[in-house]
Amino acid sequence: MNRMDQIVAYRCKKCGRIHYPCHDRCLDCKGRDFDRLVAEGDAKLLTYTQIFNLPWGFEVRFLIIGIVEFENKVKAMGQIHAASLEGIHAGMLLKPAWQPVRQVAGEAVYGLVLYP
Amino acid sequence: MRDVAVIGVGIIPFGRRDEDSLLDMLAYSSLKALDDAGLGEKGVDALYVANMGAGILQHQTAIASALADRLSLLPCSADTVENGPASGASAIKNGVLAIASGYYDTVLVAGGEKMREVVGWKATDFVATLTHPQVEYPYGITLPGMAGMLARLYMEKYGLTEEQLIAVSLKNQRMGSLNPYSHVEMMITKEGIHDHRDAIVNNPMAADPLHLYDMCPVSDGAAAVMLCALEKASQFTSNVPVVVAGFGQATDTHTLQERDDPTELKAVTLAAQQAFARAGLTPQDVDVAELHDAFTILEIVESERVGFFKTGEGGKAAERGETALGGKIPINMSGGLKARGHPVGATGVAQVVDIVFQLRHALPEGRQVKNAKVGFTLNFGGFGNNIVSFVLRRAE
Repeated sequence: MNRMDQIVAYRCKKCGRIHYPCHDRCLDCKGRDFDRLVAEGDAKLLTYTQIFNLPWGFEVRFLIIGIVEFENKVKAMGQIHAASLEGIHAGMLLKPAWQPVRQVAGEAVYGLVLYP
Repeated sequence: MRDVAVIGVGIIPFGRRDEDSLLDMLAYSSLKALDDAGLGEKGVDALYVANMGAGILQHQTAIASALADRLSLLPCSADTVENGPASGASAIKNGVLAIASGYYDTVLVAGGEKMREVVGWKATDFVATLTHPQVEYPYGITLPGMAGMLARLYMEKYGLTEEQLIAVSLKNQRMGSLNPYSHVEMMITKEGIHDHRDAIVNNPMAADPLHLYDMCPVSDGAAAVMLCALEKASQFTSNVPVVVAGFGQATDTHTLQERDDPTELKAVTLAAQQAFARAGLTPQDVDVAELHDAFTILEIVESERVGFFKTGEGGKAAERGETALGGKIPINMSGGLKARGHPVGATGVAQVVDIVFQLRHALPEGRQVKNAKVGFTLNFGGFGNNIVSFVLRRAE
């Protein structure tokens, strides 16, 4: 089982809603007590895009970015590591990794990278 | 609560305006609105200025104070309002509340943005700063990228087609070509952006499945409206007052991933419902609408969520011409953000300006919706996480 220790979600103790990122009050019941929940398992791709007009900080031709749902229902955005959209489709399972996603002032910024 | 009317409007041509500073543009549009309202040599009680990014793009803050000074409106109250791409409508909302409460009688609202003096990637990055700073922005997601994700979901869930998106693009570019304030005045054809073998060059993929011509341009521009208590409007002008019959505003989760169904755009529905309830009107009463088509997909989804069409029917309606002039509900007869342009702080104000033109019956044939009495605007902040809408009606 993959564990993404860096992706920590918060499950409301009162109603069970999962939040990522954290909130000070539950989005459903306004409860303030949460259990930490580490994202686990493969990630199911919910939607995605390939963008060609990139913001500051990227020295690549394009980025493929998707929203995924882990096996324990934590949802997160990440970069998909692929040369094109060929073979990429909603519902497919991706392998998560915690790797550099951009450089800021020469320093690597780490984030969720997803492998088909 | 008092009724509030728009008694003056001003707008300058959107586009690339290298010769003008942000304050120049705000001043030009404001003077037009003051003159239009018959207040050319008078003061106002309050000034609200909508601007999203001068602190980042121009390294200038306190824009409202600067504009009050420049326009000799001192000692009026002056506030800058920042609500991302919905700053314009938020500023108007604040002006409406100030007059409706009885605190002020006259309020000038100006919105402006100068985005073309930075290179494209800086402008893209500037707008992307409204995404979540820890779980979205680091990945390089952009607003076009979010629109691409929404379009893909809509295609899968409701069978939205590329042709339906193109129908919006063609309509809005055609209307923009008739609008003297429009950034993009170029007519396009389906052949040129889709059917022809060179279409891939003319209309490259921007944020899959959305192409270049699904996107609004990055623009400089400004617009202004003069608000007044309806009961006092005749003291200033003989213009037909346009009454702010209702407004609505709603928020949604900051991140897309936390929405149960990102295609729902709940805040759009709620903001529209509030505005219609306050006005005592329904979507079926609307004669003309300005929706926030920063991307063609947004016009389609918004047209459903505000109640003009059933869910999943907006794309088909656009393809059938129901949102064109003479159709069931003409949308974006200004050309919308798609063609008029999208200087972010100005957009919500420009939408109201265009509806006021329509309700005054002041536009030429080809853009004027015949006998329009009720108009609607929707200004989309963030990626659907802060929406402001207005219902406006012609005072008889």
